[in-house]
Amino acid sequence: MSFRGVVVKTWNENQLFSVLVELTYRCNWDCYFCYNDLSLRGTPLSKEQYVELFEELAHMQVMNLVLSGGEPLAHPDFLELGAKARDLGFVVRIKTNAHALRGRLAERVREEIDPFLVEVSLHGASAQTHDRQTRVAGSFDRLLANLEEAKRLGLRIKINSTLTRWNEAEVRGMFEVADRLELPIQFDPEVSPRDDGDRSPLDISPSSSGLRHLLAVERERAERHQETEREKAVREVARQDSELMAGGGSDQHCGAGSSGLAIDPFGNVYPCVQWRRAIGNLHDRKLGELWRGNPRLDEVRRLSRAAKDTVREAGENGWAMAFCPGAAETHTGSPLEIYDAARRRMELVGESIERESTRALPVLES
Amino acid sequence: MTRDTPIDIAKSDVFSRCSDVRFRTVVDEAVVLRQEAAEVLVLNEVGGRILELLDGERSVSDIADAVSAEFEVDESMAATETASFIAELRDAGIVSLPVESSK
Ligand SMILES: C[S@@+](CC[C@H](N)C(=O)[O-])C[C@H]1O[C@@H](n2cnc3c(N)ncnc32)[C@H](O)[C@@H]1O
Ligand code: SF4
Repeated sequence: MSFRGVVVKTWNENQLFSVLVELTYRCNWDCYFCYNDLSLRGTPLSKEQYVELFEELAHMQVMNLVLSGGEPLAHPDFLELGAKARDLGFVVRIKTNAHALRGRLAERVREEIDPFLVEVSLHGASAQTHDRQTRVAGSFDRLLANLEEAKRLGLRIKINSTLTRWNEAEVRGMFEVADRLELPIQFDPEVSPRDDGDRSPLDISPSSSGLRHLLAVERERAERHQETEREKAVREVARQDSELMAGGGSDQHCGAGSSGLAIDPFGNVYPCVQWRRAIGNLHDRKLGELWRGNPRLDEVRRLSRAAKDTVREAGENGWAMAFCPGAAETHTGSPLEIYDAARRRMELVGESIERESTRALPVLES
Repeated sequence: MTRDTPIDIAKSDVFSRCSDVRFRTVVDEAVVLRQEAAEVLVLNEVGGRILELLDGERSVSDIADAVSAEFEVDESMAATETASFIAELRDAGIVSLPVESSK
């Protein structure tokens, strides 16, 4: 069975497989569009609670543990918790801005955590654009230096970039930055609202022409570049559950709440990092208890099944929306309603498919 | 299908999983990831159990005994099949002998 087959099986069987833990909302950058809700209050989970949680997750056969934030490296127990995750046999992924990933800390991450992947955010191809978005002067130059160093140490790295109005003119340059570093790069074409529903990050949503340009560059690169087996494998294993959605083999639209969960620094548990509908809190109940017989999770799974109809009813290019029920709920209040960014993506991909097929038509000579 | 016992595996060998190997059980199968190669393998229930037992403490014959008992397989067949499966795992870079005890 393929890895994809296994993941789909985890959805169908409601086997928890991937958990994203936001260790802290503290951060050494101040990104203009950051989706974290910094007004959220609560008691942070203690180191002991994290250890207990990780042990429980390992016992439940969770394979993927993603350490995110905020900036996970800013958590005082980051190394200790990362090492614990390694000892418990998780495939650890770290989502970081990499500002602190240098010197002894970078070495210790490699030696003590040995993550499968370090996912690093790039916000532009120039210091001007990148630093404008992170609102930290010097962050671009420091990031490039840190990436070189982390690569030398043997850390496996992937670059993640969100397309924004501010960086859309630099897409080609961002690919070139990744190529120069010989690192894979993946774009998220959508800016999300803040987790509390605040829509101000959308001020820098990409324009339609920016999105069209990204699609064109991605297509051009795919045609030019023959992926190696290893690149293909990394992409397969490193991709988010969400990218598997709209596939066959399951009556669930995605793995939210059926094979995946996200946990915020205060112990609130959500079906997915994008779907901020709390299903319980770890200060009240252990994760295993929240997972079994939880009516809120049953409802999320029901909605995930219903989301398949939303996509089907959107037509033959519905898949191109990369519809996310969590994003739908934040945008529209309903997890089943198509939101603007998804509709626009579908239209642009449809346009591009049409252009391609017209190009492929034979030209009749007179 | 019965396989021959691989000649380069001794009953007393104690293998352990390579440090970049991660695995979990999904329903009745084991998913194995070799982090270095980003390679995923899916094993059946018996294979998953053998991988779990390859903890650097049990010998090949300890594991064959466990397989025979847990899956109600004839002892000599369990010994042969377990050894050849371990040889496959070794060739795939999933388990290895500690350097000092390798022949
Ligand atoms: C919240 S950050 C946490 C990890 C780390 N601090 C970082 O920036 O990589 C996770 C990812 O979300 C991206 N991101 C943040 N706010 C976003 C938004 N409103 N829309 C889309 N992506 C966003 C970041 O660029 C980063 O790649
Ligand atoms: S680095 Fe990450 S957590 Fe920090 S502000 Fe930027 S997006 Fe948010």
